[in-house]
Amino acid sequence: MQEKEVIIIGGGAAGLAAAVACKQKGIEDILIIERGDYLGGILQQCIHDGFGLEKFHTSLAGPEYAQRYVDQVVDKKIPFLLNSLVVSLTLQKEVIVINYRGLQHYRAKVIILAMGCRERTRGAISIPGARPSGIYTAGVAQELINLKNYMVGEKIVVLGSGDIGLIMARRLTLEGAEVITVAEKLPYSSGLPRNINQCLYDFNIPLLLSHTIVDIEGNGRLSGVTIAQLGERGGIIPGSKRKIACDTLLLSVGLIPENELSREAGVVLDNITGGPQVDERGQTNIPGIFACGNVLQVHDIVDNVSLEAEYIVEGVTEYLEGKLIKEREIKVELGEGLRYVVPQTLCRLKDTIFSFRVNHPGEKKILIFEDGKKVIKKKFLRRVNPAEMVRVKLSSSEIEEVKTLKVKLV
Amino acid sequence: MEREFICIICPNGCRIKVEYEGTNIKNIKGDECPKGKYYVKNEITNPLRVFTGSVLVESGDFSLVSVKTLSPIPKKYLKKVGEITRRIKVDAPVEIGQVVARNLLDNNIDLIATRKIEKKKSLLS
Repeated sequence: MQEKEVIIIGGGAAGLAAAVACKQKGIEDILIIERGDYLGGILQQCIHDGFGLEKFHTSLAGPEYAQRYVDQVVDKKIPFLLNSLVVSLTLQKEVIVINYRGLQHYRAKVIILAMGCRERTRGAISIPGARPSGIYTAGVAQELINLKNYMVGEKIVVLGSGDIGLIMARRLTLEGAEVITVAEKLPYSSGLPRNINQCLYDFNIPLLLSHTIVDIEGNGRLSGVTIAQLGERGGIIPGSKRKIACDTLLLSVGLIPENELSREAGVVLDNITGGPQVDERGQTNIPGIFACGNVLQVHDIVDNVSLEAEYIVEGVTEYLEGKLIKEREIKVELGEGLRYVVPQTLCRLKDTIFSFRVNHPGEKKILIFEDGKKVIKKKFLRRVNPAEMVRVKLSSSEIEEVKTLKVKLV
Repeated sequence: MEREFICIICPNGCRIKVEYEGTNIKNIKGDECPKGKYYVKNEITNPLRVFTGSVLVESGDFSLVSVKTLSPIPKKYLKKVGEITRRIKVDAPVEIGQVVARNLLDNNIDLIATRKIEKKKSLLS
């Protein structure tokens, strides 16, 4: 059994930023454990640009953004394992890793969960029909095209308007494929407006809102899908079904934080985010186990992943110094208009960044923090969109005297 | 003429309402930073986009290197540049920022690498 101060599970955007921040805070004994054969995670296949505007004040492609952190990890000589799978994580913060050298046992004072997400698949959304080849999740198609030099198809339908699906619609078009349409079940897109603009409108790809796929055909290879329009209550509108001939279907229907290890260790998860329930510095219910990045909550902008990772490292440092003392326990209550809030509990008096997603798109909304009938803070939001995470900071003085805390959007 | 633009410069995605004649902006609303006006000005004169894609690599640790145009290019060239990138091949190693193709379409369009590619290691070495 090898002892470590900090073990970071996952070498993607969150894990790398956490590692660099730990080192900067003077923590020496760090180990990053990465399942894949390179650092940087999903960033390496996100070859489009637009990353880093907040963090580096310039527009970078995903691999460029990743390299800025990989370089720091290498310069600072932070140890990392590649092709190494964590197969077990315990309450005692013991980690079992399997790789080409066999099994290794570690025990750490702190575990940082940074495993990211995986994609929802056809099974998760139960599309009926045949089971031909040619059906990919958008991220898998992205990996095949951008890293493996494998073109997925020629006539494409995309289901779901998440950002990866939109980005892939453009990417496939530029690689010579025909993207026939992007269908979205909801009456609004789940991707960022700028991506709808530059990935669909730029190439005249129609976005069909309130539409879904109700049948899949193909013997061997996909030959077509049937789409239908959905009514206000989500039911199929009679007579709206139509067939579209295509050879490839991409699914961009959401991400699932990969928390199997967290659950095994006894970390309590939030039903809505799918990530751990945490305090103001990302600590889970298990002292010394922290979480950041997409494993905590699905982010739309990688800069916020890096910032979140740096932010929770403050808690990590305090924990290692024995200064992380639970002063109180206030559950953050979720009011109307909001889908979730992170953190879910406040344990100490700290400046705290709250992250939210709203339930529906809207304009001129007010986000209200209240303690019983007393309003703690109000923030005007010109425009809200479920695709865009809202982040609001409350200073320690603002939450100093609260006994309860509820947030709502009106 | 009146039109609403969604700015693509940053993730804020400002919705900018513009009243314009030809290429002359008469009234602009909703631009939360100076980049918004610059974006709209380009959109009504000559819309610009950064092309991103990938090209083949010979004897690298990955078979593709991701690339982007050094600066934004006219939107109408995006697909043509895509066609060209499918025929380009470079040798490993490749550094970020390295120019992998110059003056595409005779329009001063340069492609630079956005990923570091190392030479494939021989199993014997």
